[in-house]
Amino acid sequence: MKLNTVKKIILGAAFIGIFAFTQVSDKLTSNKTHVKFFSKTTAENIEANNYKAVSTIDTKTGDVVFSIPMQSFGFEKALMQKHFNTSKFLDTKKYPKAKLIAKITNLSAIKFDTDGDYKADVKGTLEMHGKTNAVNEKANINVKGKTITVTSDIKITLADYGIAFENGKPSTNIAKSVDVSTTAIYQNN
Amino acid sequence: MSGNESTVDYSYKPPQKMNKKRIIKIALIVLVVGSIAAAGTIYYLFNMPHRNVQAADTDYSLKASSIVNEYLENPTLANEKYLDEEGESKIIEISGTVASIDEDFNNNKVVLLKNTEDKAGVSCTFSANTNAHTSNLEIGNSIKVKGVIRAGASFDADLEMYENVIMEKCDIIQ
Repeated sequence: MKLNTVKKIILGAAFIGIFAFTQVSDKLTSNKTHVKFFSKTTAENIEANNYKAVSTIDTKTGDVVFSIPMQSFGFEKALMQKHFNTSKFLDTKKYPKAKLIAKITNLSAIKFDTDGDYKADVKGTLEMHGKTNAVNEKANINVKGKTITVTSDIKITLADYGIAFENGKPSTNIAKSVDVSTTAIYQNN
Repeated sequence: MSGNESTVDYSYKPPQKMNKKRIIKIALIVLVVGSIAAAGTIYYLFNMPHRNVQAADTDYSLKASSIVNEYLENPTLANEKYLDEEGESKIIEISGTVASIDEDFNNNKVVLLKNTEDKAGVSCTFSANTNAHTSNLEIGNSIKVKGVIRAGASFDADLEMYENVIMEKCDIIQ
């Protein structure tokens, strides 16, 4: 009789132990990202690509974070890349990273475990060049097995981030707003 | 005395007058030469070659753990030391242990140099002409990588994880 109770206690404890120490990770991480910004003007088109952003999505809370190292933006024209980094524009030595901190507000509509395409409402803030602005955009979440691909296209008004061009390059060369398209691939557990 | 011996020196040139014709001629030459120089400069600026990281001199040579600790201790000081105002940041040779080998979205190889006891490592992204040099790498190898630094290591409270030092345009060096 006593042995049976002891067995039950040990079994019970082991059961609890397994749950106590198992890491249930709801956080997805992406190192496979592509952030591109595009500015169309009459003079010339400006395009830059960044493949070094890191992102996380918490599938339980809907928290989305993107950390973007600014000096990883590559332009076709070397001179344009230099200008981009200077204190006249993005001042990347002083502000080496841009960060998006947001939340998927319609989380219940996103089924991370079921294949399909989902439209996510993403609301939060984007900090860049020392300025923070509200972001309220849509993103597409594609689930295929364990691979989750998030894509989004947003417009950023440069003046909102303190990027002005009174001196330096003529204003016709840089549009007042730029298109930013992002793709990030996460692996589900 | 034979005939008229000429005493005129035909090699002598009288000083030219700065008349209108001459001024215009000089102005035109200056204009043409100036235009060619300007055009050449504009052409060069427009087509300025990208920095050749591998051909450039190394600024610093250190262990992966060292640069990570430098950044974790004082990121402001580290950025001041390693980053450049025009994006032409320091060229660094990092020696460390291969912790992982991946590929980024642009199909470039990414080798993470990190010891298990370190909180963060140095993420080295290769390029189209150096990717093949990583084909024989294995986790645990001790290697030295040269590249340009783009960002430092830090603990990001929002990501809730450590970010690695980011290096690009990398290649393995002996």
